[in-house]
Amino acid sequence: MNWTRPQRAILDLPSGSRAFVTGPAGSGKTTATTQHLLDLLSSGVPGASILLLVPQRTLASSYQAALRTPGAAAGGQVDILTLGGLARRMVDLFWPLIAHDAGFAHPVLPPTFLTLETAQYYMAHLVRPYLDQGFFESVSIDRNRLYSQLLDNLNKAAIVGFPHTEIGERLKSAWSGESSHLRVYDDVQTCASEFRRYCLENNLLDFSLQVELFRERLWPSLLCRAYLQNTYRHLIVDNLEEDTPVTHDILSEWLPEFDSALMIYDEDAGYRSYLGADPSSGLGLRDLCTDEISFTEPLVIPPTLEGLGARLGQVLDQVQTLPPGLPDGLEALDYPPEPIRFFPQMLDWVVDRVAQLIDEGVPPGEIAILAPVLPDALRFSLTNRLDERGIPYRSHRPSRALSDEPAARCLLSLAELAHPQWNRSPSKVEITYALLQTIAGLDLTRAHLLTEICCRMREGRLVLEPFGRLRPDAQSRITFSIGERYEMLRSWIEAYVADPEAELDYFFSRLFGEVLSQPGFGFHSDLDAGQVAANLVESAQKFRWAIETRAEPMGQSLGQEYIEMVRDGVIAAQYMGNWQPPAADAVFIAPAYTFLMNNRAVDHQFWLDASSNAWFERLYQPLTHPYVLSRAWTPGRIWTAADEFEANRAVLYRLILGLLRRCRVGVHLGLSDLNEGGYEQRGLLLKAFYQVQLAAGKDQANG
Amino acid sequence: MDTAKRRLDTLDPKQAFAFSQAALQDYQECRRRFQLRYLLQAAWPAPQAEPVREHERQIRRGERFHRLAQQALLGVPLDRLDAVAAADSDEHLAQWWQNFTRLLPELQGEQRYVETLLSAPLGRHRLVAKYDLLVLSPGPKLVIYDWKTGLKRPRRAWLEKRSQTRVYPYLAVKAAAGLRSGLSLLPQQVEMIYWFAAHPGQPEKILYTPEQYEKDERDLLGLVHEIDSLSSNQFDMTIEERACQYCVYRSYCARGAAAGSLTESDEEFEPEGEITIDFDQIAEISF
Repeated sequence: MNWTRPQRAILDLPSGSRAFVTGPAGSGKTTATTQHLLDLLSSGVPGASILLLVPQRTLASSYQAALRTPGAAAGGQVDILTLGGLARRMVDLFWPLIAHDAGFAHPVLPPTFLTLETAQYYMAHLVRPYLDQGFFESVSIDRNRLYSQLLDNLNKAAIVGFPHTEIGERLKSAWSGESSHLRVYDDVQTCASEFRRYCLENNLLDFSLQVELFRERLWPSLLCRAYLQNTYRHLIVDNLEEDTPVTHDILSEWLPEFDSALMIYDEDAGYRSYLGADPSSGLGLRDLCTDEISFTEPLVIPPTLEGLGARLGQVLDQVQTLPPGLPDGLEALDYPPEPIRFFPQMLDWVVDRVAQLIDEGVPPGEIAILAPVLPDALRFSLTNRLDERGIPYRSHRPSRALSDEPAARCLLSLAELAHPQWNRSPSKVEITYALLQTIAGLDLTRAHLLTEICCRMREGRLVLEPFGRLRPDAQSRITFSIGERYEMLRSWIEAYVADPEAELDYFFSRLFGEVLSQPGFGFHSDLDAGQVAANLVESAQKFRWAIETRAEPMGQSLGQEYIEMVRDGVIAAQYMGNWQPPAADAVFIAPAYTFLMNNRAVDHQFWLDASSNAWFERLYQPLTHPYVLSRAWTPGRIWTAADEFEANRAVLYRLILGLLRRCRVGVHLGLSDLNEGGYEQRGLLLKAFYQVQLAAGKDQANG
Repeated sequence: MDTAKRRLDTLDPKQAFAFSQAALQDYQECRRRFQLRYLLQAAWPAPQAEPVREHERQIRRGERFHRLAQQALLGVPLDRLDAVAAADSDEHLAQWWQNFTRLLPELQGEQRYVETLLSAPLGRHRLVAKYDLLVLSPGPKLVIYDWKTGLKRPRRAWLEKRSQTRVYPYLAVKAAAGLRSGLSLLPQQVEMIYWFAAHPGQPEKILYTPEQYEKDERDLLGLVHEIDSLSSNQFDMTIEERACQYCVYRSYCARGAAAGSLTESDEEFEPEGEITIDFDQIAEISF
């Protein structure tokens, strides 16, 4: 392989060095660092003594792939962790050492680690009585978003490193709007403090408490520190700029202890700032290193796109002066030849262009279709068009509602039907769709007919009538083959009702294994439905494990509580896919930030809905604030509209550069006068492109 | 078409596969199960054994015991762990813990490696294993300890046939340098001890030999070569249909509905996904 000079510098690092590597994305830093890792192993360094730290798992994929190859030397396994993962592992291991002093009420009992959804459940449990008292009255927001923003505040306090008791004050001191809103921040503080108190009383560990325990109790503890220092002798950190201030703090103390360290810092990035990423505190680690290696030459981005990025930066006031001779980059930019009025027409244009590129010999895997956000409707519209052309694609969204999956909805409806004591009968429409999912070969008409004939209200609850009681003409319309399978399902549920399980996950598991996945039923040999069912079982199981230790009695069964939380959107609203599809030669469809966090380059990028404000505006978060709760923020300063405007432009510029530096050939702008909702938008991204075009036109006229 | 829904049903010719003892055991028991679990990565949430509640209790009890052992070996004060074990709601755990504390003084050596992962190339693939405890003594001599947390003690003949008994000592020899830079071990310097938490006086000791090492190498390479050569329709179901009772994929293969009885099984059930990279709970990006 032909290594560039800075890549060579990484590979030739003397043993014992602590190197800080900077450079733009796409300049070959990770490629050289992966080789450095393999060289360490080949030189006899035990794999288990190497810690590879990344802010997010997707950013470790190239290292994982390299470690899987037979070329990687025999030995121990390299630990690939996030700080959150390391914190959890240490808390789990050294819990008996710290539980008492940290103030947990039951230090000899094991801790319960909360997932995002079980933390949200407990937050909902605690906040509901406050809502009845009028908390958050002036805020109009979905309840589950309210709970998640309250948790987000606690997480921010933990990863930035300030006491959770200061959340309300920090938010209040930066507020410049209506003074009546200040009360909301008092409410925020009350809920945060109450949640923390409850966690300590019940041995519950949400993400924020895990990080705090690690930072305040375990990191200073001799035993844990000795364990970490004896275990890990070599450090590699990638995407340091995407990590949090507390990670950087710990690294700054830990760094002198390593036999070698290599830290990679991407310039002009920090995309995870909403999640607490702090590029400036990451950069501070440079001063603690013995060597510094700077990458300047991009290997991916062509000069045209580099020029385009710089010019966009200039109109966004992020770049002061342009280097001489820089191309304007407009030739690498493609957009509809005629103005497009409607959004669907823009999608047609995008798919036409994709098809054309593939006809010209561009591999589908070298094309990415990116949008600021990717709602279901947009995804469906796009994939439908790609299907019609026979173009392979893969789409990825970081989170997807489990409860929206048809297979999960089927299981939830059947659970309600099988638990009459919950007083939550599913609707007839839900039964129809559940039957449609359950019985292979059943069509919508017969599913509807079956529901109408067989579903009866009896003693205030919905029951399924035996197929044999139907009139013969109805039986033959539905068909006996379907009737037989319907009867298997019905009798299974009837037997269950007579002797129900206490645990909902056991119910799901049995129903799946004994009926739904059997031959003749809809889940049989359907691996995707199996995956959804497995996620639901796991979600219900983790819920049970997190809740069954609760001290105070509940008014209803765990299963009923779970179902109600699902229906309220508090849980099963997130779907962390635990199955990674193999990399395929297919068009990649994703939100722009998801693409960045996959850290791969393509030849062609399509930027959908370029006029949308979603490219730069932050989400509506009335209960939290990523900038005010960051370490860079000076407490007491007021957050103004000018700050918001400046932040939006900086965010947009970083995003543009991040995308362009992962593009080898050209950018295709999806533009339409009206957006998906039928509204006209002229967002910053579009305006910036217009200004660059205008300036280029003037230059040409002058030249 | 959405290629995210397309799954590979043979070994990927372009990518190496990480073979664990569990994967090899699955392959030897049922090729179809191996294909479903490791190649298609099919999540199939049917019960594995009945009663489901007792099955779950058994697995979680085993996990808690492993955690206590790990904590003790890493130096967490025993009085704290005594209190944790005594407070546990499972009546077996406190007894197992007492059994373990009596074993602890024997677990001394020059160096101990607790819950350690080793890996080595195996043909064009890799072999990986996670060890409960490795004790390295001068000589050098390496003792591999594996904690078994089933209520029944399996027979030696049964243990000898397990992939674990073949893979663990073989990989320890092959990847010794992963423990300490420059360390190399001869097969005869390795011993494997199965220690049964419920039967502490009856450990099973298996001495490794050069002949066994050579045979294991031949067998393991042959096995992965065989798997490499299979086309998707050659991953046949086992002819031992009794095994299907304890396999979650039995409905997929039309081999029955209800799970087998826990009390009639020889297996010690362990959590699935024995070797995973531990990312734990990460605040995932949520754009």
